[in-house]
Amino acid sequence: MLKFFSLFLVVGLAPAPAPAAPAPAPIDYTHDIRPILAENCFYCHGQDATKRKAKLRLDTREGQLANDVVVPGQPTESELIARILSTEEDEQMPPADSHRVLSPAQKDTLRRWVAEGAPFTPHWTFSAPTRPTPPAVRGENWIQNPIDRFVLARLETEKLAPSPEAPRATLIRRVSLDLTGLPPTPAELAAFLADKKPGAYERLVDRLLASPHYGERMALPWLDAARYADSNGFQQDGDTFQWIWRDWVVRALNANQPFDQFTIEQLAGDLLPNPTIDQRIATAFNRNHLLNGEGGAIPEEQRHVTLFDRVDTTATNWLGLTVACAQCHDHKFDPITQRDYYSLLAAFNNVPETGLVGGSSYKVRTAAPVLDLATPEHKAQLAAVEARLAALKSDELLIKLRGDWEAQIATDETFPIPALRATAARPAKERPELENGDLRRYFFKHGLAKVHPELAQLLADLARLKVDDYPRVMVMEDSKPRDTFILDRGNYETRLDQVSFATPEFLPPLPDDAPRNRLGLARWLMSPAQPLTARVIVNRHWQTFFGLGLVKTSEDFGVQSDPPVHQALLDWLAVEYRDGGWNTKALNRLIVTSATYRQSSRVTPALLERDPENRLYARGARIRLPAMVIRDQALAVSGLLVDRLGGKPVYPYQPADIWDSLAITKERDFTYPQSTGEDLYRRSLYTFWRRTVAPSNMFDASARNTCKVRTAITSTPLHALTTLNDPTFIEAARALAARTLRAASFRETRLAHAFRLVLAREPDAAEKKLLRTSLEKQLARFTTDPAAAEAFLTVGAIPRDPAFSTAEHAAYTAVCLALLNLDETLTKS
Amino acid sequence: MNPLSEAHLQLTRRQFFGRSATGIGAAALTSLLNPDALAALTASGNGLPHFAPKAKRVILLWQGGGPSQVDLFDYKPGLEKLRLQELPDSVRSGNRLSTMTASQKKFPILPALKPFKQYGRSGRWLSELLPHIGGLSDEMCLIRSMRTEAVNHSPGVTFCLTGSQIPGRPSMGSWLTYGLGSLAADLPSFVVMTSSDREKTCGQLFYEHYWGSGFIPSKFQGVRLRSEGEPVLYLNDAPGLDRAQKRALLDDIASLNHHQLDLHGDPETDTRIAQYEMAFKMQASVPGLLELDKESPATLASYGPDVNRPGSYARNCLLARRLAERGVRFIQLMHGGWDQHRNLSTQLEIQCRDTDQPTAALIHDLKQRGLLEDTLVIFAGEFGRTVFVQGDVSKRDGHGRDHLGSAYSTWMVGAGVKTGIAYGETDDFSYNVVKDPVHVHDWQATILHLLGIDHQRLTYRYQGRQFRLTDVHGEVLRGLLA
Repeated sequence: MLKFFSLFLVVGLAPAPAPAAPAPAPIDYTHDIRPILAENCFYCHGQDATKRKAKLRLDTREGQLANDVVVPGQPTESELIARILSTEEDEQMPPADSHRVLSPAQKDTLRRWVAEGAPFTPHWTFSAPTRPTPPAVRGENWIQNPIDRFVLARLETEKLAPSPEAPRATLIRRVSLDLTGLPPTPAELAAFLADKKPGAYERLVDRLLASPHYGERMALPWLDAARYADSNGFQQDGDTFQWIWRDWVVRALNANQPFDQFTIEQLAGDLLPNPTIDQRIATAFNRNHLLNGEGGAIPEEQRHVTLFDRVDTTATNWLGLTVACAQCHDHKFDPITQRDYYSLLAAFNNVPETGLVGGSSYKVRTAAPVLDLATPEHKAQLAAVEARLAALKSDELLIKLRGDWEAQIATDETFPIPALRATAARPAKERPELENGDLRRYFFKHGLAKVHPELAQLLADLARLKVDDYPRVMVMEDSKPRDTFILDRGNYETRLDQVSFATPEFLPPLPDDAPRNRLGLARWLMSPAQPLTARVIVNRHWQTFFGLGLVKTSEDFGVQSDPPVHQALLDWLAVEYRDGGWNTKALNRLIVTSATYRQSSRVTPALLERDPENRLYARGARIRLPAMVIRDQALAVSGLLVDRLGGKPVYPYQPADIWDSLAITKERDFTYPQSTGEDLYRRSLYTFWRRTVAPSNMFDASARNTCKVRTAITSTPLHALTTLNDPTFIEAARALAARTLRAASFRETRLAHAFRLVLAREPDAAEKKLLRTSLEKQLARFTTDPAAAEAFLTVGAIPRDPAFSTAEHAAYTAVCLALLNLDETLTKS
Repeated sequence: MNPLSEAHLQLTRRQFFGRSATGIGAAALTSLLNPDALAALTASGNGLPHFAPKAKRVILLWQGGGPSQVDLFDYKPGLEKLRLQELPDSVRSGNRLSTMTASQKKFPILPALKPFKQYGRSGRWLSELLPHIGGLSDEMCLIRSMRTEAVNHSPGVTFCLTGSQIPGRPSMGSWLTYGLGSLAADLPSFVVMTSSDREKTCGQLFYEHYWGSGFIPSKFQGVRLRSEGEPVLYLNDAPGLDRAQKRALLDDIASLNHHQLDLHGDPETDTRIAQYEMAFKMQASVPGLLELDKESPATLASYGPDVNRPGSYARNCLLARRLAERGVRFIQLMHGGWDQHRNLSTQLEIQCRDTDQPTAALIHDLKQRGLLEDTLVIFAGEFGRTVFVQGDVSKRDGHGRDHLGSAYSTWMVGAGVKTGIAYGETDDFSYNVVKDPVHVHDWQATILHLLGIDHQRLTYRYQGRQFRLTDVHGEVLRGLLA
């Protein structure tokens, strides 16, 4: 069975460890072995019985030990080792056609693992965390809270020192942007710099946590996870009222609603005893999915797309598991079976929904069930319009009016659309169907107002009051019980076994007395025995502050997930959060008051090479800001920001033709309805999010089609074009320039003021010099070309202040535009 | 180069692309600005291309709505005898229809609207509505046995372009630019242009996820070249700010950034400085791309009169050639209007006239300039159409054909594909594939293969899984390869 000779040879030729490496640490199953097995073996030797080859399982201890596959301590007796070292085509594992290749180092690791007794530990995220003891450290005086013990202990092992605390100016900008998404004002900066009493930083953090803008900032990642948008997506892409839910999220975060409640209300608020309106609004979370309004869409297929989306979103968002594979077959890597998948799906399968969307000719298109939020006044107005219409409108009248109008335009030489005129000139029976439809639409849109203005107005009022302005939010409701089946390869037409709601088998069971519905599911997700939720959520908070999660794959905590450098820290935070009553503000406070967070982000080439991703935390985080925060910051520092909370989405500057490609849908008008006045300057959170055409200046954002908990931050020329040329930033630069011109009268002071507004610090001597020469260059050019200066100052809705000289204002605007585009401005450092 | 950037570049390609918070920039920069550096990075990194590519770039001529293979590509002379007879149930069995005809009671056969004729030395039968494309029949690799699972537009297009019916995965162009990097010195590597049919008859819209990057970094998403307003969003400088001034401003931004970089040492700042430079270059290169005054009158004329109308399919075809010349890796034209449920007899001919000549002109133009040798041109839509009538056949403008996923036709021309062949066969009704079926995933695998990529090995790890364009399916169609 074993090929001793070849084995000996291969082992003898195995590369020696790299010279500088310390003596190898003992093999750790979780970090060293499972990732190799999962990547290379589990596809055929994992838990999916239908794909399993040779009846061999390598994902369980029993499977490994069966038939001498692994003989602990005896690599030469172990079939596994023989197979991975074999060079014979019919023996070699993984086989050539699997396209998987083990490196010599991986083979050696597996051999050493067996030699060391083949220790096995179940995947760490699948058992509930227990609170680890924060380790002892030598550098006690660096410690601010227990987070730092985990971090420093590791740095001491690595013989690395933490970085010094960042300067105060850097700290206040960093923590303000992190907790509120807004930079500090000059007054806030001055107050913090002047506060010499102990605890100044903690007081700052507490002020930020109490700010109403905290909820706006913290909502951003949650909206991505909840695939929140203001339209349905797909063809027709009707608008929705889901912003009512968005406002609920901001309120709940500001009120520091415990995360277990926050979860239970969003997943099952409607199933709580005597649910409040807010608790029912919360369930809109599971109605934020795409809806296909396309003509030929098959309802049952679309309804299943929605069901799959709910299962996937719930699993990713709370469990950090990718379950979508189990739609068609047992998961290849994680212990999730197809039965588990459909048993979870059963919780979402009782909603009285069809899969389709109604109201094709309206701007707003919602699908039942909806929560009616119209005020009595609104209903009264609507009733009045309906009564008036009932008295006035009749089919006969409409036919007559249309006939009159058609007769009018048929002979009207000045009528703007000759094709419609030609149609109108033909007898109704001879008109082609499509053209007649065009004529009909035109009549209702423009013609009726000419021949009967009152009726046209009433119909417009009716559409507005009854549909487009009728406040209603799509929510969950369990009033249509359905049987749930396992679907063969996820096809809704081919049913296999019937299943009822259950949680995945490999995780702790539902309590016996738990309701078998979404409420049971939600409570189970938040139960202390359930090992994933606390870790997954804590990790995502860490990701918000440090750019990467402690587990880098924040969307996946399964066996294929990234092994964390700081598993003990993650578990400690998870237990702290869970046992501390899911207090989110306390968790955020803990993180941002740690010495780890407060470090300077400066980096040396040596440290960069040693730890390019900063996973050891020997320095602070330096990350480009999300596009939404970049815009909000520009509005804030220029003084343009209107920081009112909540309400309907707004339509800030976008190219006028941005939605034109949708205008092919003739039923409604897709002209971009750019806002005027204050709504141009609201926070980006409130910008209308059209699924098919995302806001043009929100780069690197989630498309809000499916649940997304991690976004790659990239750097491209298109981003530079946006922040240099988007009217948003040019107008902000102009307003910032005006603010600066007003605040001081000397060039030096003005430039320093603008710099301080943007970056919350004083420019150094070199920067002052650069800014001054920059201004001089711009001023020289604008002085010789006043028309250019004039033109440059016209960008944006707010007229320029004529009190300033054109050339000077333009030159300062150019320099302010440069300030808004500095790497440091775009970055949290 | 300063030591920080060098240290950064020594990271492997995989580390770059795998990093989520920072670090993408440096790779992006390298690939965007310096093809040689990318080649070096690639060679030592993920080993792409996996083997010698036949094609360096792709021009995808997307025909949205589902062109009727019955009327254009799939010659079925026997149908004439069966005109308006009922399509046998056995032919339809097992295929889903859209809800537009699922409840239709009768399924009368409608043969091709216009006669087919033989083209070229191969004597290929194609519709007489396609005289120019027909002229290419000796070079064309026609696939008559395409199959898809989708029955509606948006899921169908999403399936062809991303490998899944649900939006959220990277599009083909994103996969290719992610895998192969850029060849263009001062243009994005993945460019998209859209046009709609003349009458804007149907609501087949073009969504951003058709060129989106899904879960891979957004630097790999397609950049839309617009026909109205600014050709690329935010390309134009603010009024009153001239080039020299902008240059000065960018120099000042760079100086201030360099000053900070020296203090904090984050290589991402270096990347940002370079991206601002690239943005400045693009502001010149994109307008240059769109200036057609150097094109000869003969070339312009070959694309037909529509070439003079910005936003037309013809204009986009000409621009596709110009983009190919400038090294753009994946050029995706999206044209609409083939969804002829009720207006087949009034619109098919117009639609063919708008697309036939420009398509053929593009291919001749590429060939003349030696570009067809390493360019793959693909002509495809999301599905085909039924042989039976939808609507009332007695009304000239009240009938057409419904969607059909079980059989349809696409074609390719250029680098690496066989010339003058017709691959696969359908039954007598152009309804089911009977020989050499080509599933959408096979089609995708073959396209990747022509670019030197093993579709099973171009993967991106997301949510604990190695995702690929072809999902877990797809086979390279050896029969199509030259």
